[in-house]
Amino acid sequence: MTGTEFITTRESADVKIIDVKTDLSSYAASDLRKVLENLLMEKVNKVVVNFSEVSHINSTAVGTLVGIAKRLRQNGGDLKLCNLAATLTRTFNLIGASSVVEIYESEKSAIAAF
Amino acid sequence: MENACIELKLPSDVYYLESVRAFIGKLCETLKFSKKRIADIQLALDEICSNAVFHGSTSISSGIQLQISMDTRALEIVVRDKGGANTHDWLTPENLAEIQAKRSPARESGHGLYLIECLTDVYKLEANAVGGTDVTAIFYRDVNSDIG
Repeated sequence: MTGTEFITTRESADVKIIDVKTDLSSYAASDLRKVLENLLMEKVNKVVVNFSEVSHINSTAVGTLVGIAKRLRQNGGDLKLCNLAATLTRTFNLIGASSVVEIYESEKSAIAAF
Repeated sequence: MENACIELKLPSDVYYLESVRAFIGKLCETLKFSKKRIADIQLALDEICSNAVFHGSTSISSGIQLQISMDTRALEIVVRDKGGANTHDWLTPENLAEIQAKRSPARESGHGLYLIECLTDVYKLEANAVGGTDVTAIFYRDVNSDIG
């Protein structure tokens, strides 16, 4: 299951929330990058990615999120992640990316952290 | 189930890797790997196959080949590609060491080989006879091999 139709956006005040409804391997990572780069072009700078329906992520997708987080910070914003399954958190921890991108247990806490 | 071997051939396109991941997940379930270990094996295979597509292929038609062997002791997966434009330039101990040395959590790329090393019990990367790379990953079926 891949394609940008499985990556949807909504809003909570000035925060854009991205719901990912597909596993993030190299193929889906390019769809996620497209969605995030569109938000950058629209000058959105506060973004939360909700992983509640994701069971797999690879290093390409983690790298995409790290890169977008850095660009959002340059614009005065940030990228925060929430609702990660234990296996996903483990992948972020192994890479060390959890020290670069903030991870929250819930969407509410991720939004509140801005 | 004693000794068995399954071979898969697929186009050099990451589009097909979701199916490969699903297949290996089901196979690992039948081999009684833990859920956590299955996730590790799926991720390691995803990384190996992504490398084979991005770095070990010149076009979709290059193709990659998977040889999956299993016995009572271990699951062994060999991913064979035919080589990209610079395969033999990068596949040297010096270059591999440099890739690892440059790896940083803040970088967008360069994490694949490190993850494969973390997630496998044995991992081997060798130049093959057709100008590509053979990556061998072994996962022991001992429950104690779960990586923390």
